Amino acid sequence: MSDSADERSMLPYIIGATVLFFLGVFGTTYLPFFDDQMQAPNENAEIRNYSLDSAEYRGREVYIREGCHTCHTMYVRPVLADSSLGPISQPSDYYYEAPAMLGSKRTGADLMWVGNRWNEDWHREHLLNPQKMLPGSIMPRYDYLSDEDLENLVAYLMSLKPSPQSEGRPVD
Amino acid sequence: MSVKTEIDPFRPAKIYFYSSLFWLGAGLTYGLILSLKFIWPNFLAYGPLQIILQYGRIRPIHTNIVLFGWLTMANVGALFYIIPKLCRNRLSFPRLAYGSAFIWNAVVFAGTVVLTLGYTTTTEYAEWPLWIDIIVVLMFGAIAFICFATIANRNEKQLYVSLWYFMGSLIWLIGLYIIGNLPYKMLSGVPQFLIFWFYGHNVIGLWFTTVGVGILYYLLPLLTKNPLYSHKLSLIGFWTIATFYVWNGPHHLQNGPIPLWLMKAGVIPSVMLIIPVWSVLANVFGTLKGKWHAVPHNVPLMFVVVGSIFYLITCLQGPFHSLQGPSSVIKFSDWVPGHAHLPLFGAFSFIAFAMMYYAIPKIIDHDIHSKKLMGAHFWFSVVGMFLFAFSTWTAGVLEGLAWIEGAQYGMQFVEMLVGMRPLFIIRAIAGALMLVGQMIFVVNLAVTIGKARNAQKGQENSA
Ligand code: HEC
Repeated sequence: MSDSADERSMLPYIIGATVLFFLGVFGTTYLPFFDDQMQAPNENAEIRNYSLDSAEYRGREVYIREGCHTCHTMYVRPVLADSSLGPISQPSDYYYEAPAMLGSKRTGADLMWVGNRWNEDWHREHLLNPQKMLPGSIMPRYDYLSDEDLENLVAYLMSLKPSPQSEGRPVD
Repeated sequence: MSVKTEIDPFRPAKIYFYSSLFWLGAGLTYGLILSLKFIWPNFLAYGPLQIILQYGRIRPIHTNIVLFGWLTMANVGALFYIIPKLCRNRLSFPRLAYGSAFIWNAVVFAGTVVLTLGYTTTTEYAEWPLWIDIIVVLMFGAIAFICFATIANRNEKQLYVSLWYFMGSLIWLIGLYIIGNLPYKMLSGVPQFLIFWFYGHNVIGLWFTTVGVGILYYLLPLLTKNPLYSHKLSLIGFWTIATFYVWNGPHHLQNGPIPLWLMKAGVIPSVMLIIPVWSVLANVFGTLKGKWHAVPHNVPLMFVVVGSIFYLITCLQGPFHSLQGPSSVIKFSDWVPGHAHLPLFGAFSFIAFAMMYYAIPKIIDHDIHSKKLMGAHFWFSVVGMFLFAFSTWTAGVLEGLAWIEGAQYGMQFVEMLVGMRPLFIIRAIAGALMLVGQMIFVVNLAVTIGKARNAQKGQENSA
């Protein structure tokens, strides 16, 4: 009978639901801030800590505006599927990254270290017409970007290189 | 004229339901355009449309419209209908409830415009900018306030299962929406990304899922005309989902730059989620006992049964993906959108369809116009969902395996993509079927509503 008495009050549900929720919030969103690995930036983070008036910073804003992150990750894992993408990502690489754009979908290739793969001219041509550079590509054409936006975006992509410090880092 | 003073107590539910139908059509249209861009990347890339319908801009528009325009509005409509029914009273603050629907429509519209213009926070399912988020939280607050006030003033002593789920969902929704939408320049790095996925995962699990399960528990006895199989099971289901779901965010960073303890903290609760889904399924099958013969003749019941099976598949997939091994193959691939559509379209949209087929005739006092069209809606939706799941899961596994073989960037990556084209085509066909099904749904309801209006007018004239 105590069972049905419980079912009559809203309070146990309200309190229970709230407490259990905040336990999970604490564990999965708050505690991680205090993990050692999250505490300090490394050289890669410094490279990506663009000053507000730099071309790279403005390029990153274009990257966000155009939604490049909906098709591209920046997230190299210690797994075979990522073995030729470059050094494995570490928390400290992203120290200054806001918003963090690790991504969730690889419709196109991972761009964590894309600055190592191609040169400026390739990127420019590729953004203007991906199908021309790589026939069969399904990346949209970004030929509508202003020259300034395009140059800034290329500068941003070229800045996505690992620092010499990450040279020794395992790649698979 | 004195007859008119009594306003319809279900007006708020009605306007939420009707609005959600518009967003359902809009959201699925965006989805179809996206799927066609996988086949023809320059699809509709003419003049200003090239920018307005650019993939990177409309992908978040698709997700936000279906989540907050369609399913959230359908859910709120259901709350405003079911809660007074279960409490045997009337909805508190009906004017506020009615007015909130207009604001909510304006919010979804503004969000769509803003995303089209390229303003985004990049947080998945929370791309709307801060000023919209503030309105959203106030709206959720108002909706929760209305619902809790109605429950507090109830004339029925018992709190039926559905009400537990609704109360939990409303609390969780507000909490997780605030946490997920903290100003994005305030935080940074991996911890911020963890917050993004705390939000992305839980908005599904602690709002869409839990409201959907609440609706399911409401509909099940009514549609089958059997008493609910087991209250104990539903109690277990509620407390296990409340305990474990919220811990699942980190599994979205599996194999990623997070500490090992956190990866584990994400996996274990994912596996535990089998308990709540099992409790729901056991209740569905238990309640249906002796009534299976009725299922094929009852479209809302078919949606409920198939929807709960899709829910089961989702929840079996979830723990599987959260493991390191499977995650290393399918993470980031097209498997992921396949998985995401399963609960949101396959399970909880199906339950919302059943809800509307059940509630709208009661609200407007008129039977659904066509049973045939209801059946067509069901089959288009189910076949669409199956094809979508088949094509994305297959593509996902093949992509993952191609990456393992080294097709990770450049021309090799493109060769892999070219190989996926047939599957992308199947996915677009699936999208088209889903959209056609929903158009049938909307037309059928619109005709029903029109007929009800005419009947009412006829009555007034003869009176
Ligand atoms: C529809 C999804 C989509 C969107 C949106 C998108 N891309 Fe791509 N991207 C691709 C695909 C597919 C490839 C692989 C084929 C290719 O290289 O063209 C690719 C490849 C790339 C590459 C080459 C990677 C390599 O090393 O092979 C770069 C650089 C790139 N994209 C940058 C961008 C930028 C910058 C944006 C935003 C302005 C963007 N992409 C938006 C799909 C997309």
